[in-house]
Amino acid sequence: MHSRAILATLVVLALLLALPWLLPQFLPANQAQFWTANILGRAIVFGIIAMSLTFLATYGGFISLAQMMVAGVAGYTLAIFVDGALPRIVGGWGYAAAIPLSLVAATVMGLVVGAISVRTRDIYLLMITLALAMGVFRFIETNIAWFNGYEGIRNVVGPTLFGLDFRNAFVFYHVALGTAAALFLGILYLVKTPFGLVLQGIRDNPRRVAALGYSVGLHRIAAFGVAGFIAGCGGVLSTIYNIGISPGSIGLGATVNILIMSVVGGLGHPAGAFIGSLIFTVFDTFAATIYDRDRFNTLIGLVFLVIVLVSPDGAIGIGAKLRRLLGAGRNHPRGAEGSRASQQQAGEETTP
Amino acid sequence: MTAPAIRLRGVSRRFGALQALRDVSFDVMPGERRAVLGPNGAGKTTLFNTICGDFPPTSGSIELFDRDITRLRPHERTRLGIGRTYQTSLLFNGLSVLENLFIAVRGVRPNRFSFLRPSAGDGGMAKARDLADRMRLSHLIDAEVVNLSHGQRRQLEVGMAMAGDPRVLMLDEPAAGLSPGDRPELLRLLRELPRTLTLVLIEHDMDIALPAADIVTVMKDGEVVVEAPPDRIEDDPVVQAIYLGDGH
Repeated sequence: MHSRAILATLVVLALLLALPWLLPQFLPANQAQFWTANILGRAIVFGIIAMSLTFLATYGGFISLAQMMVAGVAGYTLAIFVDGALPRIVGGWGYAAAIPLSLVAATVMGLVVGAISVRTRDIYLLMITLALAMGVFRFIETNIAWFNGYEGIRNVVGPTLFGLDFRNAFVFYHVALGTAAALFLGILYLVKTPFGLVLQGIRDNPRRVAALGYSVGLHRIAAFGVAGFIAGCGGVLSTIYNIGISPGSIGLGATVNILIMSVVGGLGHPAGAFIGSLIFTVFDTFAATIYDRDRFNTLIGLVFLVIVLVSPDGAIGIGAKLRRLLGAGRNHPRGAEGSRASQQQAGEETTP
Repeated sequence: MTAPAIRLRGVSRRFGALQALRDVSFDVMPGERRAVLGPNGAGKTTLFNTICGDFPPTSGSIELFDRDITRLRPHERTRLGIGRTYQTSLLFNGLSVLENLFIAVRGVRPNRFSFLRPSAGDGGMAKARDLADRMRLSHLIDAEVVNLSHGQRRQLEVGMAMAGDPRVLMLDEPAAGLSPGDRPELLRLLRELPRTLTLVLIEHDMDIALPAADIVTVMKDGEVVVEAPPDRIEDDPVVQAIYLGDGH
């Protein structure tokens, strides 16, 4: 990372860390708590799941619609195994054991999605990942003995960490923020490792990657495994945030919401996932108040349409454009642009 | 007796109704410089793609130093010692010159799959820098590849093909699109390649192909029609008929 990018990341992180203390200076106490838990906390949790999609898209050129399902696998694993969840399916596990198990389950599901879709790309990858997501959704919905049908599993209240209760909005917010920051920095580290560079090579030119001695399939599957782990972290936090999980949280609507967050935020950089998630959460929460309760989806749709039309690279692309206009120089969200240019080139190459 | 670096026996490749390669057989000996010439559609690039594993032959066999590689996948062939470039540069546009070369160096090493960043003293990184130097790209080492000129991209292509220390280097029209000023530099690069390396070259430009080659294979309609040293190629009546027409 460039020193300016590191500085910007640290400033944003410090601001986000301090926000729960800053908000009460400007808002009444109950509203400050509402913003901390229901807007920012929720945006971070769904931002993590969206970031798993953005990671695959930015660095691998793969758009996967299975990420919400993978998050749901982590959530259901936690709810099935952890002590205190209702109804008790397996139970008896503490959070210290059930959370790692959930992350392993999500990573394995990510690897399975990667292995099944390994030979597909573009629209076919979208379709196969959507089919997998809907298949798992239906399986969970109809298998009442293991997943308790429509009702799902409740009372997943979260652990107590060093004497701090997860149900406390401040505690949950900071745990979610810490997790998101660790995953975000982890991605920035990973993309400069041999694995990350080869993944970007696959995005730009899979044929050349193979000609250099790499197994494209192995790297693709591993990338889906990494994305599965990231989505799993979001799935665990989302289940604790919602005090449980039901099939609706991994259905088609939820799947599309994650895609909208990623696209609105921008697929050129992992930070776009959090920006998109915040925009989505704000409009999802307040659209009914601002406009008309029955037509709030129209307002949300219009806002997203405007963002995508103004900047095909999403909200993060607007930021980059503004910086260029202000003469701050060119910055590096090169994933989307690079990927488009190279996909075009790859298309030309594969034409017989 | 020394085994050929590449041995093709009856290699054919069909795409539906199109017979792109027809019963191609020849040997390329270790250290040999072989140029493959022919008009557009002669099957030269198809031959390259078949040897490198982009698609298997419909019939026939391919051996690399006595090892049958006919059914191996491209990355497996690369690990056995084949390096190649493409007719149109296939580079990683979103990465820097150094990153492109580093990936290329790591591709044939056992530690190619790693979740750890290379250390400051990493041998692969040192070799990537050395390659950039040899390809006259060291001043652009941190530049994004998307910003390179066409000539620099071709140089990087050759560097990446060389990065895995191949035993056989296959260059598909390395001079394509180069300005006249860049061509002598390419010829110099080709002549500086070590003699331990076997070179197979597709090239339309006779001024590049003939000085660089020991033997020339001329193809037409998917078949080998002439195989001769460069000094006999320009006067060969079959070659003249192919390039100048029957009525010359």
